[in-house]
Amino acid sequence: MKILLLGLNHRTAPLEVRERLAVDDPAPLLQKLVDCDEIDEAVLFSTCNRVEIVVLTRNLDAARHRVHGFLRRDLPSGGALPPGTDLARHLYEHVDAEAMCHVFRVASALDSMVIGEPQILGQCKEAYRAAAECGACGPILGRLFQNAFATAKRVRTETRVAERPVSVASVAVDLARQIFDHFADKRALLIGAGEMIEMALRKLREDGLESVAVANRTPERAAALAAEIGATAHGLDELPELLVHADVVLASIAGNAPLLDLESVSLALRARRNRPVLVIDIGVPRNVDAAVNELENVYLYDIDDLASVASENAEQRRGETVKAEAIVVEQQQRFDGWFAALRAVPTIQHLRARAESIRAAEVERAISRLAFDESSREGIEHLTRAIVNKLLHAPLSRLRREAGREEGMAYLEAARVLFALDDPQDGGADDAGSDDGSLDQEDGEDRAPAGAPDPE
Amino acid sequence: MILWIHHLSAASYLAAGILAGLGLALSAPRLQRLAVWVLAFGAIVHAAGFAALHSGESTPPLTDLPTAVSFMAWAGTTLYLLLLLRLRLSGLVVLVAPAAFIGVFFSELYTPQIRAASEAASGRWPHAHVLLASAGLASLGLAALAGLLFLGEHRRLKAKRPLSVGIRLPSLEALDRGNLGALAIGFPLLTLGVLTGMMWNQAVSGHMWTASAHEVACVMAWAVYAVLAIARFGTGQGAHQAALAAVAGFALLFVAVIGVGILT
Repeated sequence: MKILLLGLNHRTAPLEVRERLAVDDPAPLLQKLVDCDEIDEAVLFSTCNRVEIVVLTRNLDAARHRVHGFLRRDLPSGGALPPGTDLARHLYEHVDAEAMCHVFRVASALDSMVIGEPQILGQCKEAYRAAAECGACGPILGRLFQNAFATAKRVRTETRVAERPVSVASVAVDLARQIFDHFADKRALLIGAGEMIEMALRKLREDGLESVAVANRTPERAAALAAEIGATAHGLDELPELLVHADVVLASIAGNAPLLDLESVSLALRARRNRPVLVIDIGVPRNVDAAVNELENVYLYDIDDLASVASENAEQRRGETVKAEAIVVEQQQRFDGWFAALRAVPTIQHLRARAESIRAAEVERAISRLAFDESSREGIEHLTRAIVNKLLHAPLSRLRREAGREEGMAYLEAARVLFALDDPQDGGADDAGSDDGSLDQEDGEDRAPAGAPDPE
Repeated sequence: MILWIHHLSAASYLAAGILAGLGLALSAPRLQRLAVWVLAFGAIVHAAGFAALHSGESTPPLTDLPTAVSFMAWAGTTLYLLLLLRLRLSGLVVLVAPAAFIGVFFSELYTPQIRAASEAASGRWPHAHVLLASAGLASLGLAALAGLLFLGEHRRLKAKRPLSVGIRLPSLEALDRGNLGALAIGFPLLTLGVLTGMMWNQAVSGHMWTASAHEVACVMAWAVYAVLAIARFGTGQGAHQAALAAVAGFALLFVAVIGVGILT
């Protein structure tokens, strides 16, 4: 079994590529993935900065081929990729240990545009929940994500990476401060709803902003958010009028076409006598046409533009990220040990089944030759079962332990050869009975006393 | 004594400029704040110099071009310090302090010794003209400096280049308000300067308008500013255009008043 991760993020792909691959509802796509023979489990992780697919597979090459095709054909829900885009050039791939490390780093916000930002963990949990609900995430990827959440928690509590978090929201507010001297007489317009927008709004409020309008596709949701933050609620049809009075526009709403284009913003600007407007577009796909930035008194920042501002944040947190990376490696090794030990499970199950079938056959043979009453029969069953268990305890423990190491495959291979687990003709109880005596003799010499500690 | 006072004010302006530059280069807002205090000290010393000049001479030689430039430097600095009480413009000190130093330095370079005003430049109208026109010029110069910083900041924000950590420059809104305030003060002063200049002409030659190169250039520059003021206060001109207009308008005014004055 292999864990394969394929994806792209804000460092490897521009926004115009990422926005085409953004996914709102991953469930149908995940169903399609896990319906393929070569993919056992899958989780799809789509945020404004990244689109990643993690799969569990028994056939790495076939899975890789399948996921590549899936990204090219099934994922571009936001319209066709820009002409001349070579998607493969933007993709990265991680397998097993690297994939685990990557998932842990993402959940811990070490791979984020803004290091230590708090939103990513919630987004990871949401991706995991969506995959689990549609049955695409099984026990192994489930455990991987649970470990990722635990890693993120350790990073937050044991390092200062998340201390004084500088999120995209605070970067947006910092930009607003470079444009506006004070916020008391300013009006903010929120298009859509979301955690990041709410955080930005909260920070603007701390700086004195009072007047806020919320516009959403569903007026009920706008009303709910507006009631929560003390704003006025509006439908998207009111946008032209709202724009005229908005000094700060925060947009993050789902949709494939930009809500604000050059013409609508230009009209609003004229109506507001060219007073400057800061437009923060954190929607993916973008909610505001990039051409709007050409207007003289409009300052438009999309999610990628915020990256350059946020990169300084990464520089300041470099010392803390070293500690956080060490935690990630430690957690990854722990998970990798568990994952590798899974390789021993079929061999152990097989060996146990073989031993049990031999024991049962020999007991049956002995009982048929000699007349035992019911209590004696039970005693023999109990005795033989105890012998088998004690004989198998040390080798099985050793197999479990070694399976997590590099040389573990040699132990598994040796066990399969020594116990003829891969030979269907050499495993019957009758055959075992034929060399019963010699095996007993040899085994008797090396037999450890009951309850003896493992030699290791 | 007066010369030493002027030297001290020039040194203070220079020190303020260096501190402000260092504050910007080292991302140290404390140095920037210190620069403002040093600039204020320079302005007080400079004012003391003018007060000493006024008490020492019955007719202070303000009509002398270099001294008028020195007065402009003081007026601009003082207006900036007054605007600081209302607007967060402390970052603008990085331009104001060097400009003030250049003004005082120019004055000291060309007037190593205090000279008495010529007879033609003595009297009420010449002094009123020079005081009002210089204050107007200083105010419009300050508007141009605010406009210049606005244009730089606008360009940076449009190009999406982040400010280094720790650097605090005035917001675009503060710069625009500074520009607007300086224009609102400077244009009426300039208008009064032009009118008192005409009165001075009348007193000297019997004609308000003699069509000299200086007069023509000044009236043209005033007309340009009149158009800019109408655009700014009447038509809702955008902040970016206003900043461009402030810089271009002052360049024209500077050439018209100082340039033509030097050439003729």
